[in-house]
Amino acid sequence: MKILSLISASILCASVSVVTTADGHGKGYPFKNEIQARMNVMNLYGYYLGELGAMAKGQSPYDADAATRAANNLLAMAKLDNTTMWPQGSDNSVPALDNKTRAKPEAWTTYPEIVDKHKALITAATTMAAEAGNGLDAVRANIGAVGQSCKGCHEAFRGPKLKGHSH
Amino acid sequence: MRLYKLALTTCLAGAVIFYWITAPELIEQDALPEHTVNLTNGEQMFWVGGCGSCHAADGASGNHKLLLSGGLTLDTPFGAFVAPNISPHDDGIGQWSDLDFVNAMIKGVSPEGKHYYPAFPYTNYQRMPVTDVLDLKAFLDTLPPVAGKADDHSLGFPFNIRWGLGLWKWRYLDGQSFEPDPTLEDAINRGRYLVDGPGHCGACHTPRDRFGGELLSSYLQGASVLEVNEHTGEQSSGWVPNITSDDNGLAEWTQEDIAYSLETGFTPEFDSFGGSMSSVQDNIYHLSASDRMAIAAYLKSLQ
Ligand code: HEC
Ligand code: HEC
Ligand code: HEC
Repeated sequence: MKILSLISASILCASVSVVTTADGHGKGYPFKNEIQARMNVMNLYGYYLGELGAMAKGQSPYDADAATRAANNLLAMAKLDNTTMWPQGSDNSVPALDNKTRAKPEAWTTYPEIVDKHKALITAATTMAAEAGNGLDAVRANIGAVGQSCKGCHEAFRGPKLKGHSH
Repeated sequence: MRLYKLALTTCLAGAVIFYWITAPELIEQDALPEHTVNLTNGEQMFWVGGCGSCHAADGASGNHKLLLSGGLTLDTPFGAFVAPNISPHDDGIGQWSDLDFVNAMIKGVSPEGKHYYPAFPYTNYQRMPVTDVLDLKAFLDTLPPVAGKADDHSLGFPFNIRWGLGLWKWRYLDGQSFEPDPTLEDAINRGRYLVDGPGHCGACHTPRDRFGGELLSSYLQGASVLEVNEHTGEQSSGWVPNITSDDNGLAEWTQEDIAYSLETGFTPEFDSFGGSMSSVQDNIYHLSASDRMAIAAYLKSLQ
């Protein structure tokens, strides 16, 4: 009898894990791939903005071509349609995910507000791409607006930092 | 019979000691120095002290942080604290003397002689010299008066009993004003004052023991977010990062990176500050560049 229930328990476990794999296309936790993919996109935003920021801060010399390239790349990244990276149920109110993602459920429950925040980034990045080649002052004048668009979305839709993660 | 008497005297002595420990300690009027007010310094103390992050309306930023109507609720494991109105209005602290204000900031005691809860970070503000507190009061007096009382706290037993706080203060309020360390550079001393005193960085970045006192053995080494998760009602799993210069902290940040992040809200990876740090940064933005560099120098000195 004991053995039987053990077996059925492991069958149950197996089917649960099949279900999560089917759902989340990854092992370990639900929506692992999607969550990691969107984090990677965010880190690329940070990379390109950082190239512009280094010039704005005076850490690297201003170069019109390099600035334009970074700004164009940021804009191209921002314009990607990454809808599939944000599936329902992949937020930090899901117990299995509260230490895996910082995305707040409001990103879904107040939809389409997050779309407006995303559009604000595209608008700011478009201006930056047009201006970045026009001198260091132009980079400095526009970087604040790009940064504010990142911050605006983070304040609304990103929860607190997680222990042991650098981000 | 003798035993009984002994028990009675011990009990009485205990009660006297208990009263003595839990009775508020005050600064007297004649201990206040002669002081010519410096409003610029008062304004800097206001911003580094972050008064507007708690005493302005929820979510206020920029100039709205100067309207100190109170009302922000801090949900903690001890219950919900509501920051009161501290604008220069009768509903706020409009009728307060300088001495009332100094005793609130440094001793955590109200004009009626009641203990304040340490959700008001006076364990940090006690480091401020009285002159900085007087400058701050003078600056607060220049701000717009706002009418309206904030709600009461909603705390369960035993946290709703204020005199019990006397015991807590006896343990955690040491009464020490900031003393510069003569072996350190001026900038590092200045940074240490701003961090430990008005800036109260440790109120969030230092973990707390189960009575809510800062664990100084883990000074600025990171802590759980104190607030309760609004969705689950449980203690949040969020983390306030280590800001010392060790490997789990800011080892890879330069002094300039730290100062830049406090000015702009951007980390070296160009991620933006979030959570309660975004309001802190919004305050620190108003400091002088040299004070931000001093804070950064001090954090870099903590290996
Ligand atoms: C439309 C909303 C939105 C915009 C716009 C946005 N972010 Fe994010 N960002 C998020 C959310 C939500 C997360 C949390 C993702 C998660 O943990 O699943 C995040 C996470 C991040 C992270 C942490 C990634 C990690 O590895 O944990 C970085 C870095 C970041 N964003 C940078 C940026 C930068 C730079 C910009 C602007 C150029 C930006 N973001 C714009 C919503 C946004
Ligand atoms: C972390 C939030 C927080 C910050 C920051 C903060 N306070 Fe408070 N303050 C409170 C809370 C909560 C109370 C109520 C304490 C109580 O009732 O015991 C309070 C009470 C007070 C009182 C007593 C008011 C009364 O009506 O009795 C004064 C005065 C005061 N704060 C001034 C300040 C000043 C000045 C600053 C900035 C230097 C400041 N506070 C920063 C949370 C804060
Ligand atoms: C009210 C709570 C609070 C106070 C007070 C506070 N911080 Fe923070 N701090 C945070 C939180 C929360 C974070 C994480 C920010 C995030 O989620 O992006 C943080 C992040 C930081 C970071 C970035 C660290 C990293 O690894 O990304 C630095 C630097 C920092 N704080 C410095 C300070 C300094 C200096 C002070 C005092 C002047 C201070 N903080 C006061 C809550 C606070």
